[in-house]
Amino acid sequence: MGVARASHSGARFLDPAVLARISNLELLARTVVDGFLNGLHRSPYLGFSLEFAEHRQYMPGDDIRRIDWKLFGRSDRHYIKLFEADTNANFSVLLDVSASMSYGSHEVSKLDYARYLTACLTFFSNRQRDRVGLVTFDHDIVEYVPPSMKHMDTILHLLHRASAGRAGSLREPLVKITELLGRKGIVVIISDFYEHPDEILSSISLLRGRGHDVIVFHVLDPAELSFPFEDSSSFEDLETREQIPVIPNRLRDDYKRLVSEHVESVEHRLAENRIDYVLLDTSKPLDLALFQYLLARERWTRKR
Amino acid sequence: MSLAFLVPLFLLGLAGITVPILVHLTRRQRRNVVTFPSLMFLERIPFQEQRRRRIQHWLLLALRSLALALLALAFARPFFDRSALSLGAAAGPREVVVLLDQSYSMEIGNQFTRALIEAREIFDGLGPLDRASLVVFGQGARVVTRSTGDRLRLNSALDTLGVSSSGTRFGPALKVAQTVLEESELPTGEVYLLSDFQRIGWTGNEGVYLPAGAKVIPIKFSEDPPDNIQVTDVDLIRHAVSGRERITPTARIARNGGVDAREVNVSLELDGQEIQTRTITLDADGAASVTFQPFTLSQPHTRGTIRVPADELTADDVRNFVVSPGTALSLLVIDGSGGSTDASLYLRRALEISDDGRFRLIHRRTNNVRAEDLDGTDAVIINDARIDGGSAERLRNFVQAGGGLLLVLGENSGWPASAQDLLPGTAGEPRDRLQGRGGRLGHLEYGHPVFEPFSGPRSGDFTGARFFRARSFVLSDSAIVLARFDDGSVAFAEKGYGLGTVLVWTSTLDSFWNDLALQPVYLPFVHRVSEYIGGRTEALAWFTIGQVLNLADPGALESAGLVSTESAELSDSTDLVALTPSGRSMEFPSDDGPKYLALDESGFYTVRPPGSEPERPFVIAVNVELEESNLTTIDPEELIAQVMSPTPDPETASGLVQTTELQMEDQERRQALWRWMLITAFGLLAAETFMSNWVSRRAVGATLTAT
Repeated sequence: MGVARASHSGARFLDPAVLARISNLELLARTVVDGFLNGLHRSPYLGFSLEFAEHRQYMPGDDIRRIDWKLFGRSDRHYIKLFEADTNANFSVLLDVSASMSYGSHEVSKLDYARYLTACLTFFSNRQRDRVGLVTFDHDIVEYVPPSMKHMDTILHLLHRASAGRAGSLREPLVKITELLGRKGIVVIISDFYEHPDEILSSISLLRGRGHDVIVFHVLDPAELSFPFEDSSSFEDLETREQIPVIPNRLRDDYKRLVSEHVESVEHRLAENRIDYVLLDTSKPLDLALFQYLLARERWTRKR
Repeated sequence: MSLAFLVPLFLLGLAGITVPILVHLTRRQRRNVVTFPSLMFLERIPFQEQRRRRIQHWLLLALRSLALALLALAFARPFFDRSALSLGAAAGPREVVVLLDQSYSMEIGNQFTRALIEAREIFDGLGPLDRASLVVFGQGARVVTRSTGDRLRLNSALDTLGVSSSGTRFGPALKVAQTVLEESELPTGEVYLLSDFQRIGWTGNEGVYLPAGAKVIPIKFSEDPPDNIQVTDVDLIRHAVSGRERITPTARIARNGGVDAREVNVSLELDGQEIQTRTITLDADGAASVTFQPFTLSQPHTRGTIRVPADELTADDVRNFVVSPGTALSLLVIDGSGGSTDASLYLRRALEISDDGRFRLIHRRTNNVRAEDLDGTDAVIINDARIDGGSAERLRNFVQAGGGLLLVLGENSGWPASAQDLLPGTAGEPRDRLQGRGGRLGHLEYGHPVFEPFSGPRSGDFTGARFFRARSFVLSDSAIVLARFDDGSVAFAEKGYGLGTVLVWTSTLDSFWNDLALQPVYLPFVHRVSEYIGGRTEALAWFTIGQVLNLADPGALESAGLVSTESAELSDSTDLVALTPSGRSMEFPSDDGPKYLALDESGFYTVRPPGSEPERPFVIAVNVELEESNLTTIDPEELIAQVMSPTPDPETASGLVQTTELQMEDQERRQALWRWMLITAFGLLAAETFMSNWVSRRAVGATLTAT
């Protein structure tokens, strides 16, 4: 329900096609996050820590239970209490920049969509005073920004110039990243996951085994899901450059069935290992991703 | 009518049809490459199923392929070869030639009747513009009806035909067909060959080649070979018994086919009366001889027939012959008058030895030769005798009137110089050949009638005779040499004088100068020389079908057995009528030209003056050619192949090829099919351009819609 409401209230800020026109990632992230948060009735800043941080004027959508009524009695104004509930956590985004992520059947490629998502999540987390970091990888680590409160600008800069080019894989870069991320934290993995489900699970479970809270965003272009092609063509693999002749009409059903089986298999195996999984369609707004992230954060906070 | 090409090498361009197919299968794929994040899922789908259906625009492919094929065909310059018209097809009016085998073997199993029915069906199947000829053939060919469209006339002509006594020869009939087709203006020629296709009828080298485009349609009438018995030969052996001539006929009977041995009655008929019958047993494919009791021959021109029971092939069941009493040659042998020994002993003894008394000898010495001794004498033999001038003149007259003279040179020989021109040369002194074992006969003129019987192997050896002495002999201009000694000198010479003949033997005919008289060859040699100078010719007992006899030639008539023009009432000044065995009458007026009688029926021909009934008319026996009884067949296709595919003369082959090419080029130019093919090809290319653009536009639109 929250998703639906968010779609209505902040749709114009969350549509990827609109976001593509904003070249400044920070502005983009702020716009998305603020727009998204304003559409929620319940503030995402709700924390469960008893350590008071500061007061903030009530904004529509904030939980009225968090209004400091005492302050209201003294000043006749509505303020809500802010606590440092989720601050000081390590928040790392592992962004796949392999060649396959450059694919896009419309204005927004998978990599663009992933960059927007990364910017938004990083911005959001940074606002919550988390230490934010970024790792881009293909079949190896491409860029690494260790988690820090001060690395927001660096991350946005890296995201801005990130480009896809080489073939990718999960196993080797995630092994290295696991070594790099020494302190437990929140790890977001954004990829198109063209690997066998077992390989995906075995790679991600390394992070999970180190105690990280992992959420996986599986980014796919709508063409990868629906296979809308008509003409017989040679299909070329963006990473291997291999070509095969394909008659789409003949293969469409088989292809969609295989993709569906793959997604279900990945989701099922990750769920078994308590890893959150979100399938993202790059033609859809970012609110689903953000909402899912918030739900996960809330669950992890409660768990703690 | 078949499609041909003037430049067939351009047909290699048809391989270009693969170009659009390859374009469809390969280039199209390279042009429409779609990048995709990963082929991980696509690769799991079976690849073969994708390849099999890659060609989408079949119509485009067909247009391109057809256009390329038409271009290649156009450059190959196609044309319809009307010279190779299929004759079976209804391609215009036909010139039909029906060749009908009339040989006597066609009587087996009613083959000839069936052939007539077939011929009638062929004529009934003629189109309104067709023309047909009817040709019957045996040894020769005869055009019964030539190139007519009148079916009634053709069918009427069939009604008059029957089996002949002739053998089979395909060559003349096919030659006639060739002529008819070459003279015809109709575009199609068909030759129907109706026969039992005996192999003996085709030698394979007949020089017959039907015109190009003509077609031979063989219609074979075959029957299982019957159990055929035939009289293959008759031998008539003469004997003189008590001054009368007797003949012992011996017939040879052969059997072709059959399974078990069977008894056969063989009968002898004389002048139409059956005289004797003998029964013999013949095995399958066997043969036997049967000898009849001798009969006395008293009448000239006696007709005889050896007959076996009729079977399916009746023509070879009889063997006809004509015999007449032989006449003895009258020979006058003249010896020298002074000799103490009988110089003519060997000669007279040799001439007296004969079964049939063919020689009647009169022996004289030079001192008692009378003028009347030459009367009624056929030939004179002067054996080592000296002739005076008066005798020589009488002999000159004798020879000039047709008599024969043999001059045997010896020790006492002499010839007056006044009659030297009568001899083939001039005799000289005796020459001895005492070195070694004497001389031999080195060269004999085996083509001469005297030596012709000795020409075969083991037919008489003259080389065994030793000649120790002979007179030298200088030939005159008009003489011919019949034999020479091994040193090249003349042994035997001849000269024609008037109507007669003069022979000179330069050695003796006794054992004085040579030992020829002791050799086996002596007797036949003396007989042969005597018959030659006596003018005896062996009468033929029978002729075979196909031979021709000139009734105006006395020599030919004598060879044919005419022994008495008086009894036959034949003379040069009268008209003649020949009655064939079938009763047909042929008249020969008494002019100076030849009177050729074609012997084309089996049986007896009778020749007589018109309106007369001679007691013993001149009769000629005619028998069938026995080769026709050999029923071994030839494959019709083998025969046709030799008629239809001539081997071109190497000298003219290039010309023929050039002519053929000119004809082809002419046909191609007239038809000009390549123009229509080019136009069609360009039209197809235009349609292809339009259609491919349309397909491309549609594809782009679909892509834009999808994105």
